Amino acid sequence: MNAIVVMQNVSRLFAENSGVAALDGISLDIERGEFAAVVGPSGSGKSTLLNLIAGLDRPTSGRVEVCGIDVGGASESALAKHRRKGVGFVFQFFNLIESLTVLENVMVPAELAGVRRGKAKARALEQLDELGAAELARRYPETLSGGQRQRVALARALINAPDLVLADEPTGALDTRSGKNVMDLLAGMNEAGQTVVLVTHDIKLAASYGRRILTLRDGRLADDTRLSVQRTGTAADLIGWTAEGR
Amino acid sequence: MSLRLGILGLLTSGPLHGYEVKQQFEEILAGTWDLNIGSVYQMLQRLERDGLVQPSGSRGDRGRQEFVATEEGRRLFDEWLDNPDKQPELLREEIYVKVLLLALQREPDTARILKVLDNQRHAYLQRLRDLADQERAVQGTSSGQTGSPLALLFQAGRLHTEASLKWIDACVEQLSRN
Repeated sequence: MNAIVVMQNVSRLFAENSGVAALDGISLDIERGEFAAVVGPSGSGKSTLLNLIAGLDRPTSGRVEVCGIDVGGASESALAKHRRKGVGFVFQFFNLIESLTVLENVMVPAELAGVRRGKAKARALEQLDELGAAELARRYPETLSGGQRQRVALARALINAPDLVLADEPTGALDTRSGKNVMDLLAGMNEAGQTVVLVTHDIKLAASYGRRILTLRDGRLADDTRLSVQRTGTAADLIGWTAEGR
Repeated sequence: MSLRLGILGLLTSGPLHGYEVKQQFEEILAGTWDLNIGSVYQMLQRLERDGLVQPSGSRGDRGRQEFVATEEGRRLFDEWLDNPDKQPELLREEIYVKVLLLALQREPDTARILKVLDNQRHAYLQRLRDLADQERAVQGTSSGQTGSPLALLFQAGRLHTEASLKWIDACVEQLSRN
């Protein structure tokens, strides 16, 4: 077993001493190479869970270990390093810096991680090219469509070759077709070995791409389902035409 | 779904012989339906007997006879198209009856109902996965592209399953609150 995320009896209160838990006694492991989807209604603790994995937040109690780092006990600088190198983020609203070109946006995490400018630029171009967005390099975010923005955000998330990609409602602001393209890119990364954790309220999206569905309810892990590829239920079955044909 | 209307529908857009009917059906459903050629000929005979299709042209090579919808056949098909499904909502799956029967017991066992719902939820999640995999499998084919009849059919399947999952989540929420 090679877990990249280990959570043991993790709780997170909304505020210190508030007594109200955003997460309440969560225990789970996520293995390297998994594509896990976290679903649940709003307020169920999805984002809190993701923030803990990202090292943006610390647990009130319990143990969170991500990429070998103890998120509860690590120093602020160790967590900052984890955020820069260990994980790549994809957000619903892209979070691109409007005053920077696409290329410069993609370079940001590499430069923050201490990569020299020339090398960061070469890497950013390579990453954009891999995602079919090389021609966007000199443009500014405001001139891009939603689908193009998310492609750029994916390139930015991947530039430091993180162990883990965290996607929070990555298709939430996209039309169906662009959303599908972005999800196909995430699926491609996962097939190439990347661990992906997707947070979404869209159960269709979760089950279409995730191999494992983690369901949160009221801050608790209500269900953990692994899906298999079994290819049952054809188009003909859907409209009940099978029996008559035989 | 009736094969009779399916074949009649295909023959309203032009003459086809039996084998072409089989092929077109299988193409629409991306080869997931293995239509028996015997059933096709049988149905063509019945449609002809009922005056809904008629032979078109002379027998071609290998004795194949094309058929096309008659005026009467077109009229019947149009009438069917124009009449929406009006029967009451049908909840065909057994889960509804299971929950109903468990809830009606003198001392309803909430834990048992939740377990039954949970099992069904797993099955629905897997169904969503299967539909997505099926859809991906046909996407490269001409019949499976975005906006094609087949893609629309898979979309319907996914949305129905999503509705079922939402119903289960609503049940769980209400039962857990009691």
